[in-house]
Amino acid sequence: MNLMGGTMAYELDLNLINLVQVVFWFLAGAISFYFSIGNARIWTSISIGFFLIFISQAYLLNPWTEYHRVEVIHYIIGTIAIMVMTHGFQEYYIFSRTLEVSGSKPKVYLATLLVVLASVVFVYINPKPSFTVMRNIKMIENTCWVFLCLVNLDMIRKIYLQVRDSVIAKGFIAFGIVFVCIFLWKGAELYLQVYLWDKAWLDIISFSNLTGEASDFALYPDRINFSTLVHQVAGLLSGLSVGGTFIYLYRLLR
Amino acid sequence: MFLLPKGNPLHENIPAVKTDIPELLGKLKSDRFSGYANFVFPASVGILLFESGKLVSVMLEEGEKKLSGFEAIAAIFNQIFAAGGSLNVYKLSNDLTMCVHALLHGEMLYKGQELKLIDVKGLLEKLKANRLNGCLRIYTTDKTALIFYKDGAPLGFFHDGCQDIETSASESQKIAGLPGAKIDVLSTKSADELMQHDLLEMVNFDKLWESTASKQAANLDRIKQEAEERDKKQLDNKLKGLEADIRELAAAYVGKLGQTLVEKELQEQGGRNCFLDRKGAANFLLGIEKSAKLLTSLSKLNEMLNLMKSEIASKTKELGVK
Repeated sequence: MNLMGGTMAYELDLNLINLVQVVFWFLAGAISFYFSIGNARIWTSISIGFFLIFISQAYLLNPWTEYHRVEVIHYIIGTIAIMVMTHGFQEYYIFSRTLEVSGSKPKVYLATLLVVLASVVFVYINPKPSFTVMRNIKMIENTCWVFLCLVNLDMIRKIYLQVRDSVIAKGFIAFGIVFVCIFLWKGAELYLQVYLWDKAWLDIISFSNLTGEASDFALYPDRINFSTLVHQVAGLLSGLSVGGTFIYLYRLLR
Repeated sequence: MFLLPKGNPLHENIPAVKTDIPELLGKLKSDRFSGYANFVFPASVGILLFESGKLVSVMLEEGEKKLSGFEAIAAIFNQIFAAGGSLNVYKLSNDLTMCVHALLHGEMLYKGQELKLIDVKGLLEKLKANRLNGCLRIYTTDKTALIFYKDGAPLGFFHDGCQDIETSASESQKIAGLPGAKIDVLSTKSADELMQHDLLEMVNFDKLWESTASKQAANLDRIKQEAEERDKKQLDNKLKGLEADIRELAAAYVGKLGQTLVEKELQEQGGRNCFLDRKGAANFLLGIEKSAKLLTSLSKLNEMLNLMKSEIASKTKELGVK
């Protein structure tokens, strides 16, 4: 396999699929944000988290992502997205055990905005991120997603057990499906990154061949192709399932 | 009931409970009053008999039961506070008072003798000879006449339907002539002898009155407290029922967590008594709404809240809460 030629084809496929993904995430983000406006406080954290996924994925459409800092901000927003969401599910779990509802919507919006702004400031007061730094930040994002997906799956299971005879119970099954998709989507990418089979690493070693770093990309085509496929399909399904889940929730709670 | 001459009425139909009885007794004593104070209660009558300011006898008649002396005084005071009753005070001459004493407390020389079977003329001569101080009671099943005697001489006649002593013996003779008429002969001590005892000197009426008043007040408090406790228990039972209904509604619309939610909101509103207060009930429903909308649909939530609202309104209306 010609490394450069293979990489280019791979890149084209990725761009197309990512574009479709972004469209799905846009729809999911719009629905979840709309849902957060007209609903109870605890849903705000959860739906804002899902909306932030769209922002994090929108770097693919952002004309300024040539600026490394802008792209890094997208990655950080992705990390914030799963953290806000996890916080929301944690609050729902506490509610399902204690029936206590605290806080307010404006506080959630404001706190999220402040964290995003703080991240932007952090990025701008530090040196311009190199490709390696950007890849590291993307890896951190994926790591957060993978582990917090597992945490959320466990939390959703516990919430479901608490609310299983309520109207909302099936909504949590839908969230379970969403997190399985996201786990596969982010987990597959993390797997590729950990073994240096990801596109960013291939770009690094192709365009800045200064360190003499190499990749064993060509030795494991099956698992790389499979992981890439999982990443692409699960990514599409994640966007679809999030949109579908919020539409379903909207109908349930109407 | 006693059939007694009214003489000169000083007070009639005064509410007994509004009268300071010890003060009245003191006044009767200082005025050297002769006659009687008559307490009329729903089921009994009490008589305090005075001779020249001295309380010579007390009697309470309650159906078949007759009390006298201290027991009667205590019973009359109790009845005043318990049943109210009215007070009449009638002034009589000393002699007539003595005769009334004979009627109330006298020694029964003859009892229930059939007039047809006795020698009335002989009896009257005997009374005269013995200088009887007392009273002859001639009666049938529905009529009574009294003849009062002092030192064996008749003082006057008294019968059903008349207010005071009469000098004519015609009514008494009429009753004596009725078939089945009977006679009782009652004797008593002379007025001077009667005055040797004064219950006013022997009993501390002020203290007895005060202790009866405080005992009665304590009784009233206890009864009031018992009634309050009973009412509270009834109210609590009804509120428990209402809570059970609300829980059932919450379980039907929200699920198992609905019941826990009702419990929690009630606890936050200070218990199920919050249903009695419009603001408390509104806050309770607000709390339920806030949490339940995380668990159920808006349409179900509204339906449940409306049912809860009407349930609370109807049950609290039954309890007389506006």
